[in-house]
Amino acid sequence: MSMYQVKSISGDTKIDLPTCMYKLPNVHASRSGSGEHAHQNGEVDPAVRALEARQDEIMQRLYELKAAVEGLAKTVTTPDADLDATTLPQQGNARTVLTGTADLDSLLGKDPGALRDIVINAHPSRPPLSLLVLHSLLCQRYRVLSTVHVHSSIPAVPPELLTCLGPRHTHSFARQHFQLGFTLIWKDVPKTQMKFTVQKMCPVEGEGNVARFLFSLLAPGPCDAASATLSDSWVDTALFQLSEGGAKERAVVLRALNAALGRSPWLAGPELSLADIVCACCVHQSGSAPSAPPNVQRWLKSCENLGHFGQAYTLLH
Amino acid sequence: MTNEEIKGAVAEEDQAQSKKGLKKQQKEAEKAAKKAEKQAKLAAEQHGVEEEDFAKDRYGVPPMVQSTEKLDRALVRVQDLTPEKAEQLVWVRARVHTSRAKGKQCFLVLRQQQFNVQALVAVGDRASKQMVKFAANIPKESIVDVEGVVRKVEQKIESCTQQDVELHIERVFVISQAEPRLPLQLEDAVRPEGEGDEEGRATVNQDTRLDNRVIDLRTTTSQAIFRLQSGVCQLFRDTLINKGFVEIQTPKIISAASEGGANVFTVSYFKTSAYLAQSPQLYKQMCICADFDKVFCVGPVFRAEDSNTHRHLTEFVGLDIEMAFNYHYHEVIESITDTMVQIFKGLRDRFQTEIQMVNKQYPSEPFKFLEPTLRLEYTEGVAMLRAAGVEMGDEDDLSTPNEKLLGRLVKEKYDTDFYVLDKYPLAVRPFYTMPDPIDPMYSNSYDMFMRGEEILSGAQRVHDAQLLTERAMHHNIDLEKIKSYIDSFRYGAPPHGGGGIGLERVTMLYLGLHNVRQTSMFPRDPKRLTP
Repeated sequence: MSMYQVKSISGDTKIDLPTCMYKLPNVHASRSGSGEHAHQNGEVDPAVRALEARQDEIMQRLYELKAAVEGLAKTVTTPDADLDATTLPQQGNARTVLTGTADLDSLLGKDPGALRDIVINAHPSRPPLSLLVLHSLLCQRYRVLSTVHVHSSIPAVPPELLTCLGPRHTHSFARQHFQLGFTLIWKDVPKTQMKFTVQKMCPVEGEGNVARFLFSLLAPGPCDAASATLSDSWVDTALFQLSEGGAKERAVVLRALNAALGRSPWLAGPELSLADIVCACCVHQSGSAPSAPPNVQRWLKSCENLGHFGQAYTLLH
Repeated sequence: MTNEEIKGAVAEEDQAQSKKGLKKQQKEAEKAAKKAEKQAKLAAEQHGVEEEDFAKDRYGVPPMVQSTEKLDRALVRVQDLTPEKAEQLVWVRARVHTSRAKGKQCFLVLRQQQFNVQALVAVGDRASKQMVKFAANIPKESIVDVEGVVRKVEQKIESCTQQDVELHIERVFVISQAEPRLPLQLEDAVRPEGEGDEEGRATVNQDTRLDNRVIDLRTTTSQAIFRLQSGVCQLFRDTLINKGFVEIQTPKIISAASEGGANVFTVSYFKTSAYLAQSPQLYKQMCICADFDKVFCVGPVFRAEDSNTHRHLTEFVGLDIEMAFNYHYHEVIESITDTMVQIFKGLRDRFQTEIQMVNKQYPSEPFKFLEPTLRLEYTEGVAMLRAAGVEMGDEDDLSTPNEKLLGRLVKEKYDTDFYVLDKYPLAVRPFYTMPDPIDPMYSNSYDMFMRGEEILSGAQRVHDAQLLTERAMHHNIDLEKIKSYIDSFRYGAPPHGGGGIGLERVTMLYLGLHNVRQTSMFPRDPKRLTP
C-alpha cells in the first residue's frame, strides 16, 4: 500500500534509554492501524477476496457442469440425436464422455507398488474366446502377467484350457515387473465374471461387459456415439443371438453380418473394433463359420490374419 | 433260585396263620411281603425269570472275554448293513448308543464308530418279555454282541446313518458293560453350537470334553475329524514320496535352541540340561547338505510359548519339508503348494462323508482353492490392506487381525482359501533367510495362509557360511551358539529352501473349526497336561 510520507517533526532526537531493561516492539505498530484504516476505507481483505474468487470459480464450474449434463440429456432424450452421425462431431460434450484414454493410471487408478490384477472367472464349458483375443491384444500393448488357475469347484479341465493364455512369461516370478495382471480362473460360475478392485467396484458380469472393459484399456472408445452404439449392439447381438440363440436366430444374424460387411471391411468404423472381435469369436463358437456367407468368410479370414485369434481358436473343438 | 424260595415263604405263612394270633400274622405277612418284594426286585435286576422264560439262553452277560474260545462267527460291520443284506441273519458287535423301551418292544440304536443303525427287540416267538426288559436296561455305551435279522424299512430312519434298514434282534449279549452314569452325554457333545441354547438343551464345554476325551472321541464329529487328519498325513506322505522326497527322522532332544532361545522347553539330561526341539529345521538342512536332495519329516514339535489362544499348542505334529532347488526358490514354493493342493483334492474327493459329518455340528463353507496356488507378493498384500483402510509401513509385519483381513480380501477377489504371500520384508524374518537379490529390504521368504491364518512360514535359506555369519552378526546372535549350524555349510551346500506346517492347524482350518484343541487328540497347552 503506498501512502504519502511526512517528514518527521521531531527530528533525529536520540533518547537515552536505560539499559537495565529489555526492549519490546511497539504493540500499537502501524500494522494494526493500517488494517483498521483499510476497513474504514471499504477495502477488502485479500483473504476474503480470494474466497470470493474461489466461490465464483466453483459456481462457474457448476454452470459448466450443468450445461454439460443438459447437453447430454438432450442427446439421450432426442430419439435420433445419436443416430445422426453428421451432427454428432459438433456435440462436444458427448464426445468427451465417450472418449476414453488408454492410460492405465487414469483408467485403473494410481496404485504404485502393486500389480493391478484383473481376475476373470469363467466356466470351462463356455470358454470366453473374445477375452482371450483381447488378452493377446493387451499383451501387445502392456507388460501383462498372465496366469491360469483352476478353482476347486471344477474337478478337472482339459489341458488346452490351462495353456490358453500362452506360454508362461520368463519373468513371471517377479510380479512387480508387470503393468497388468490377467488372472483367468476356471470356475463353476453361471456367467463369465470379472473382479478388479473389490472394495470400489462390484464384479462385472457377462462376457460382453468384461470384453467392453478390457477393450477400453486398449483403445480410446469410438469417438462418436453412433459407432459406439453400433459396436455395442453388435456385441449384444453376437452374445445373445449367436451364442445363445437358436438356429433361426443365428441365420438372421449371419445375414445381417453379411450385409454389414458388404458395406465396410469391419463391423463398426474403419478398423477392427470390439464388435469384430466378439462377433468373430461367437460365429466360430456357434459352429456357423464353415457355412457362413461369403462376406462373413472374408471378414473371418481378415480377423485371423491379425494374429490375435490363434490362442482362442485352439480351444474350438 | 427265586421260585422255590417264594413257594417256601408262602408255605411258612400258611402254617403261621393257623397257629399264631392276628397281630403276629400281620407282622409275618408284612415281612413276607417285604421279602417277596425284595426278591422280586432282585429278580428284576438280574433279569431273572418269574415265569417260564423261553428265551433264557438268548440274552445275558456272558463271562468276560478272556480268549477262552475262538469262534468262527463272522461279525458284520454296521456300515455294511444295507438293503442288500435284507432278510439275512447277522451278528453285529456295537455299542448301545441309545435305548428306548416302549411296552413290549425296545428300540436300540447300535453304534460302531461313526455309523449307527436302529435295532428292535420285540416280544414274540424269539424274544421274551424278560429279554426286552434286559435289553432296555443295558447302560448306554456298553458293548454288545447281537444277532438279528436285517429288515428293510418303509420309512427312512432319519436319525441313523443306515437309513434303509433296521435290525430285528434275536440274541443280545453284553460284552463290556459301561457305568450307568456317563460324565457327558454323546448327544450333547454333538449338538451344533447355538442350537442347545435355544431349546434349553445342554452342550458340553471344551474342558469337559478334553477331560473325558475317550468318550468325546467316540462322537461322530471327533471320529470324522481324526479320520480326516489321518488322511492329511497319508496324503502328505504319498504326495511327497511320489515327488521323490525321502522321509527322515530327526532328534527331538537337542543341545541348543534351533530358533532363538526364548520358547524352548528345558529338560534335564543326566548331569546337564537339553532342549526339546522347536523345529527340525537344522536337521532338515543338514540332510540337504548331506545330499538327500529332498526330505520331509513328520513328528512332534515343542514350543514353550505361554499363549492360550485358539491356535497355539505347546506340542503339535509338524509336517516339515526341505528341498534343494536348481535356480529359483519358487521351485520350492511350487513343490509345497502342489503338495497342499494334492492334499486338499484328496480330502475333497475321499473324505466327503467325514467333511459332511463335521459340518453337521460345526457348519462352515467348503474349503476353496486354486490350482496352481495363487501367489501374491507382500507389497501387493500391503497395497490391498491399505486400499481397505489399514495403515501400515512397508516393512511392518502383518498382525493377526490384518492377516485375517487380507485373507478376506483375497477370498473376495480370487475366491480361494489358500494362497501364498511371497517376498516378506527381510527385517521380519529370521537371520538364515536369503535376502532378495535386487531389493535388500525384501527377502526370498513366504508364508502360506488357509482361511486367513498362517499355516506355513518358509524361505530360501542362506547356504553360504560367510553370508550366514554376516546375517547372524547383523541380528546380534552369539556366533558361538550357532557354530555347528554355520559349520554345516562350510563344505559345500546346495541352494535350498523349505517350510513346515502344523497338522492340527491344517485340519482345523480345512474343516473351518475354531479351536486347534478339537483337532489335537490329546492336546497340550500351557494349562493342560492330561489326559
